[in-house]
Amino acid sequence: MTIHEPGRRLMRGVPLKFVRKRVAGGSSRPVAAALSLTSMIDFLIVTVVFLLMTFSASGETPINKNVRLPQAEHTLDMIDAPMVAITGSAILVDGSTAGNTRAIEDSKRLQRIDELFNILKSKREVWKQLHPGKDFPGVVVLQIDQEVTAVVVKSVFQTSAFAGYPNVSFMVNQLPKAR
Amino acid sequence: MGGISVGGGGGGRRSLDSEINMIPFIDLLMVTISFLLITAVWSHMARINADAQVPGPPREVEPVNIEPEKQLHVEMRTPDKFVLIWKQAGTVISTVDVSRKDNLIVKDGKKSIRYPELAQKIEAEWKTVGAHRDGTDKKFDQAVLHTDNETAYVYLIGVIDAIYQAHRPFNVGGKSEQVPAFNVTFAVN
Repeated sequence: MTIHEPGRRLMRGVPLKFVRKRVAGGSSRPVAAALSLTSMIDFLIVTVVFLLMTFSASGETPINKNVRLPQAEHTLDMIDAPMVAITGSAILVDGSTAGNTRAIEDSKRLQRIDELFNILKSKREVWKQLHPGKDFPGVVVLQIDQEVTAVVVKSVFQTSAFAGYPNVSFMVNQLPKAR
Repeated sequence: MGGISVGGGGGGRRSLDSEINMIPFIDLLMVTISFLLITAVWSHMARINADAQVPGPPREVEPVNIEPEKQLHVEMRTPDKFVLIWKQAGTVISTVDVSRKDNLIVKDGKKSIRYPELAQKIEAEWKTVGAHRDGTDKKFDQAVLHTDNETAYVYLIGVIDAIYQAHRPFNVGGKSEQVPAFNVTFAVN
């Protein structure tokens, strides 16, 4: 379908052309204004390029609703890796319970969390079966609530390392750079 | 309208001038923009890395006479100061005290804490004592964080963030990038 130049709508009932022209004030200035498409297409292309550059195929990172992340300035971009959420009461891997935060806090000592260890180890074995011949990256991302104590953080950190995940990343909210 | 000029033509029956129909082109751009806007992720999530210093598999021939690396130990056991200790194979090389002020900022329930004095001091220490500064060096200086068991996670992140202020060049795939100068790990005891 093509775009037609708009015609006159008013005074169409006047049958004589010279009368219609005079009544309508037939000026020399044309009624139809040409729309410059060049700038509009430029704008659209710039928008598409910007959105394509910022496009993320991995989608949004799921965050446990009971976890309030702290903020940090010197951060790295997020990566795709197993997520461990640590709330004030539980340790969760993909939504299923893998430990009790309160029990670790009450014991006041560093410990290996067996449920978490088994889940991470099984995830590692599944990865190795799916990617034979490749080096296991050993990365795990921890979503830890800002009020959780250091004994829990260190216990999860150590357990992850024992389960074959020595590269531990802490998920944070990005703060704008100060300099 | 956009068009392609192909010269004057030679008086043939069909005109050589042809116009590109811009409407499907604009439609495609509009649909692409709509799709990208709907699927866009506007999140500010990021991560801070730490390394658990797990020994690798045993080598067939163990290297001999390797000089132990210097490590920066950051102690945050007391509420009024941080202690920065450079150690090499258990031997203390130097010790520096940095005053500690916990300026906790709470915004919409999200806490953040910054230690600018600690960050500046660690950066200065790394510039004088740090061993791995060249862009071609694949190894990083090691920082070990010592904390008591009751410290809240937000304070740990504040200190790790301060340690990561020191940056160094790192060559990846022919390009030089600025990356944190330290690898951070936690002290077990």
